Amino acid sequence: MKKILPITNAIIAVISGSFILLGYFFPGVFGGIQSTLIGWAIILAAFALLLGIFNLAIVHWKKIGSEKSSNINSIVLLTSMFITIVIVGISGPTGSWSLWVFNSFQVPVEVSLLAVLAVVLVYAGARLLTRRPKWYTILFLVTVLLVLLGSVPLFLIGEITPLSIVRDWLAQVPAIAGARGLLLGVALGTVATGLRILIGVDRPYGG
Amino acid sequence: MTDIICPLCGKLNPPDLDECIYCQAPLKTGGFVAPSEDEDKISPILTSSEKPGEAENLVPEPKASSDLEQNIPDWLKQTEANFLDQSEAKPKETSPDELSEQIDSILTPSSAPPNPQDNAIDEEWLASLLDEAGVGMPEPPSLQEETPDETQEASLEEQEPEIYQEGSEAEVEGAAEEELALPTQPSEKPEWLKNLEASSKIKLEGELFGSEPVQYEAVVNETPEEKAQEQPPLPEWIAKPGSVEPPPSPEEPETPIAPAEIPNWLEALRPTDAVSPTGPVEDLSGADIVTAGPLAGLRGVISAHPSAIRAQKPPTYSIKLRVSDEQQARLEMMEELLADEEKPMPLPSQPIITTRNIFRLIVAVVLLLPMAWMIISGGKRTSAPQPGNIPGVVDFTQRIQLLPSGVPVLIAFDYEAGFSGELNIAITNVLTQLMNKSIYLTLVATTPSGPALAESMIKNASLSMARTPGFYSNYANLGYIPGGTMGLLGLATSPRNLLPYSLQIESVWAEAPLNAIGSIKDFSAVILITNDPDTARIWIEQIGPQLQEAGTPLLIVTSSQAEPLIRPYYESTPAQVQGMIAGLVGGVAYGRTVGNIQQNGIWDAFSVGITVSVLIILIGSIANVVVKSLPASKKKEN
Repeated sequence: MKKILPITNAIIAVISGSFILLGYFFPGVFGGIQSTLIGWAIILAAFALLLGIFNLAIVHWKKIGSEKSSNINSIVLLTSMFITIVIVGISGPTGSWSLWVFNSFQVPVEVSLLAVLAVVLVYAGARLLTRRPKWYTILFLVTVLLVLLGSVPLFLIGEITPLSIVRDWLAQVPAIAGARGLLLGVALGTVATGLRILIGVDRPYGG
Repeated sequence: MTDIICPLCGKLNPPDLDECIYCQAPLKTGGFVAPSEDEDKISPILTSSEKPGEAENLVPEPKASSDLEQNIPDWLKQTEANFLDQSEAKPKETSPDELSEQIDSILTPSSAPPNPQDNAIDEEWLASLLDEAGVGMPEPPSLQEETPDETQEASLEEQEPEIYQEGSEAEVEGAAEEELALPTQPSEKPEWLKNLEASSKIKLEGELFGSEPVQYEAVVNETPEEKAQEQPPLPEWIAKPGSVEPPPSPEEPETPIAPAEIPNWLEALRPTDAVSPTGPVEDLSGADIVTAGPLAGLRGVISAHPSAIRAQKPPTYSIKLRVSDEQQARLEMMEELLADEEKPMPLPSQPIITTRNIFRLIVAVVLLLPMAWMIISGGKRTSAPQPGNIPGVVDFTQRIQLLPSGVPVLIAFDYEAGFSGELNIAITNVLTQLMNKSIYLTLVATTPSGPALAESMIKNASLSMARTPGFYSNYANLGYIPGGTMGLLGLATSPRNLLPYSLQIESVWAEAPLNAIGSIKDFSAVILITNDPDTARIWIEQIGPQLQEAGTPLLIVTSSQAEPLIRPYYESTPAQVQGMIAGLVGGVAYGRTVGNIQQNGIWDAFSVGITVSVLIILIGSIANVVVKSLPASKKKEN
């Protein structure tokens, strides 16, 4: 059984991957099988999400049972989860009570985090030269200032066109060049990993 | 002729002498009478080939009228009588030695030779030979099996001095040297053992030469108790084997033994009381009687049976430590130290008011106060961005305006709620335009919070509708699509199977206008709202090909941080993204194109925030450089 199960997993993975790949090349022949397999995978992903929520609740429930650390955060999480489930279960996912909980708690919390991030970034930029300045430190600081000045019209000054042009160049040439390089590397790695899984050399599912 | 054995030197003396001719010890009082010539015959037990069981029954009775018995002292006779009474009165009980022998016989694997009795004789005989030679012999497995015939075992034990007397010391030493080469199979005799046996006058299987003295025959047939009672205890210095000379063999011509001369100093040292049979005897009535071994039946002697081989339960000792108070105190101190190691060390408390905290507070106040003032005052001091200068806004507007009234449009809400402040203006303007054209909105999301965001934005946008504000029902919220990339691929191929019902549990695909939708390319337009460039890339890769095939536009509303990565898809030829609104700048610009210029001071607040941020960074950097260039700070660094 210990030998049969890994081989079975490998066969299932290779056949499924091959049908999905062939569905791109021959959608008329393998399109139906591809759609069916994708539907199964989506169901598994949804079930994994439910498992993740259940596991989160179990972990914090055990944390409350343990007397070692302070468990106030776990109590808050489980209480919030229970109340939200009850409200959404009664009002529905798009009911007025559900939207009130969403707009009154989740949206302000996430927006506040980003606002604090903005203040912290400005403070870090101001203290960037506190230590001995290096050339790349100064380059980073100058780039930040140019992008900020070229993004929007300044208060009481208006738009500075040369700075906007510089900002566009910085965003579209150096920044995109680095990002595209990363994406190409990721794409090549994805192709190699996909081929290894398709031929059964790499078995992330075990075996 | 009956000789008398000298009690002192053990040599034979003529019966007519009163003193030993060797050591001048008195013979009449302590000497033993040697057996007569007619008794000097081979024992029928030893010479015949009878079985040991039969030999056991042939224990001869001691002759009461013999001179030997007459010479037994009274105290020894009394001891013998007491012992016989006790042994007859007691039922035969299993001694510990017998139990140990039984256990050994059980534990020992049954690898005994076909004739274990002969084998035992060989091994015992060989062991006695080697012991006399002073060399130990490893016990083969067969030696552990004792034969039940104790009589034969006793006879073999009695042969030890005889072997010694045979004078084959050299051969015994040779045999001791070859003991390591002993075969493990006791049934086969090695060559050296056969030679040794041939040279010896002792024959196995009970055979003895006829020249053996009768006194040994009598001793062999006696039980150990009788033997021990008949022999008076001799002093150790007399019973020393080295001082005993072997008796002359009958085969050899008898040579007259020269009388020994004892030096005067030895005569003076000789303990005459010890050899006197009539001397004071220790009271042994309270001592234990040996029950096994060659000394069985004797009282007050140390048993010759090795007690080490007895299976005894080892004594139990208490494992409780005796700890003093000082040691206990140190132990408690050690436990406290170990317990403290597991406790997390609290971070050193820092004062709340520090220069760093004051600087942070100043930055927050300087940054937030102008922005709040702009929002509260609703100022419009900053010029709004021109739509023509913002890439993608004009195309986006045109694509929306080209949509026919009432057609289905798919809108994906794939952004986090934290980006609501940046994206809400653009989303509200787009939704308002779509609602004004009575577009059927099909809402999906690949993030868990997307459906709630979509519902909330629909309600907000409906408030700014030109007709019937506050109510818009021409939409279907299909909810969350799990699976990430796979979910999008499933949505592209078969949206009906992936999302068959809306969040209100309605079969929206059976009603118009969604009943005409077979795949995603059947929608009139697809609008993606996201703040993540990777999510936008996945949509472009998975959904884009089908949309391009059908000529369906893909429009994206995104944040400023994702705009540089999405913009190449828009600027490429052919374009993979037909329209784009990026960030707050794009939202305000799009609002200007659709005639909605309500900003509520957000644009001014955004402009003030950027300007103040640049000023703070510049001033802070210059101040740091100046402070570091001061001589005092240089000395502090050095």
